Amino acid sequence: MRDRMAILLLPLAASAVLPLAVFRANRIAAGQPHGLVDTLGPGAAGLALGALALVIGALLALHRPVLRVAVAAGLLVGLILLMGWGAARLAADAPPQARVGPGTGFWIALACAGLLVIDGMTRLRPGPALRLALVALAVGAGWLILGSGALAQLSVLQEYQNRSGAFWREGAKHLWLAFGSFGVAMLAGVPAGILLTRLPRIRPAVLNLLTMVQTIPSIALFGMLIVPLGWVAANLPGAAALGIRGIGMAPAFVALFLYSLLPIVANTVAGLTGVPRSVTEAADGMGLTARQRMLRVDIPLALPVILTAARIVLVQNIGMATVGALIGAGGFGTFVFQGVGQTATDLILLGALPTVALAFLTSAVMDALIAMLPGAAR
Amino acid sequence: MIRFESVSKVYDGIAVVDDVSLTLERGTITAVVGTSGSGKSTLLRMVNRLVEPTAGRVLLDGTDTASVPAADLRRRIGYVIQDHGLFPHWTAARNIATVPGLLGWPRAAIDARVRELMLMLQLDPDVIGPRFPHELSGGQAQRVGVARALAARPEVLLMDEPFGALDPVIRQQAQTDLRKLQQQLGTTVMLVTHDMAEAIRLGDRIAVMRAGRIDQFAPPAEIIAAPATGFVADLLGEGDRAFRYLSLQPAARLARPGAADGPVLPADATMADALAEMIWSGRDRLPVAGPDGHPAGVCTRDDLIRAGRPG
Repeated sequence: MRDRMAILLLPLAASAVLPLAVFRANRIAAGQPHGLVDTLGPGAAGLALGALALVIGALLALHRPVLRVAVAAGLLVGLILLMGWGAARLAADAPPQARVGPGTGFWIALACAGLLVIDGMTRLRPGPALRLALVALAVGAGWLILGSGALAQLSVLQEYQNRSGAFWREGAKHLWLAFGSFGVAMLAGVPAGILLTRLPRIRPAVLNLLTMVQTIPSIALFGMLIVPLGWVAANLPGAAALGIRGIGMAPAFVALFLYSLLPIVANTVAGLTGVPRSVTEAADGMGLTARQRMLRVDIPLALPVILTAARIVLVQNIGMATVGALIGAGGFGTFVFQGVGQTATDLILLGALPTVALAFLTSAVMDALIAMLPGAAR
Repeated sequence: MIRFESVSKVYDGIAVVDDVSLTLERGTITAVVGTSGSGKSTLLRMVNRLVEPTAGRVLLDGTDTASVPAADLRRRIGYVIQDHGLFPHWTAARNIATVPGLLGWPRAAIDARVRELMLMLQLDPDVIGPRFPHELSGGQAQRVGVARALAARPEVLLMDEPFGALDPVIRQQAQTDLRKLQQQLGTTVMLVTHDMAEAIRLGDRIAVMRAGRIDQFAPPAEIIAAPATGFVADLLGEGDRAFRYLSLQPAARLARPGAADGPVLPADATMADALAEMIWSGRDRLPVAGPDGHPAGVCTRDDLIRAGRPG
């Protein structure tokens, strides 16, 4: 194998001698590492090692990206199922309050497998429709594996089982925070960008102001909004009834909205001013009215640039919404901060893993949508 | 018919177009020639009101263009620009359908018109129609631009350096095609170019512009025979004036009875073609074909040389 990704096979092989699982007597106790044999038993450990050797051999021998992606994806799924099986085996002999989580060996192998899949996909360059199909396939596979109970004994899922109601409630809040503030920012930012292309004089001032907002650390911005929103809630009739308060959802929503504005406004301006002069000239010369030109020519041509901003903003919001939990906005961040407070790593993961997955999925879907725009190859 | 009546355009105190009066006859090609900054594009853009005159008025078939809403006016006027300005997110066919679409033609009529135009411009509707502009060659994109401009059967076609982005070989073909198309459709064409050779080849009349004013407005033969100013003479170039003059006249006009040896000159050859053939083949008389393709007479060197000097 001539490519650079061969370097990944070293840590992948090494992961076999690192702890596969971490055993805790209870959810906050210090963990004891368990190796491959300890976790799986000698028979299964032998099989797993054999399978790993086969995978590494296959990756060395196979050059067609399709096959390599298939092998790497198989490795990814196999690893996760193996982890679930090992956790169940260790938990079977332990008291109910004991917890089994993934160890460093698992995380390293998982990262290698993930990188191999991503690398193979980059080489395959699937079309946008296929990419969407693959995203759907990945979501479906994840759903099936989680729903099958194969991972039920893993510590993260134990945490989930104790909090499944709260998980979906906070998940819904997280989505509302990230996507809601994005939606409002699009409704405000795109028209503002259109306006700024016609007012070149105030454009630098506005963009600089939005850049300044962007540089405020998120916690500081959340904090800064508590006072004005608290005042609004206390003094504006009806505001409190709408759920506006100094802490909670409102300041987090407003802060994410403010962070979203810069990329959306700036890219709308860049997209619109990037429409070639000959095209706008032709549109005017054909007799398109200003409104027709905006809707049929300017905005469609600026759309890839605007959607790129939308992608950035969504990923940024999904990540930053976790911080909202600090001021009582809810969302997956709730579990992260509870976990930090209780030194319960599994609880932190219960908040972090869905956030990462959500950001990753959103990014992949947005990329595919941008590539699907007509004339996208220009 | 396009009529400019004492039209001026002033930017920041500088007259880019300075009191121009000009009448472009219906069904002709008028080429406006000038160096960059001469105001030729500004003059053109005042016809479809992409530029509004500071003073004077522009009449289209007797109607003041300022009295018609700009969008309505522009939909009646074809417009072709140098970088074709095709909409990159629309297919060639949809680009061509732009103005009929704006005018609300029925779908079937639009489709039929797009097909008709593409065939007229030698673009295969089934192959080129679904392509996006970035998938077209320079020549194809230029023709799609012309088709788009002609889609709603405008009586007037404005062309701003329409062949500027083409390489010399394709440019010559495109010029010939435009001439044929214009004769076929009877469209009134106003064409802006910096290239005097192009103006001579295409124009029924040529307007030479300098610093916002018209130096001379005359048929090509007259421009070559009697340049009104030093600027016009400079644009023509001193060296090959005689050849340019010869290139405007058919060789058949000089045919006199008689016979000559060697290959026969085609009926549509110009006097410049005839002279070049004589020099190249070392003959001093050539047989000239009549309209039926058979030799109809001979053309002599002395006659050609006499014909190369106007007056």
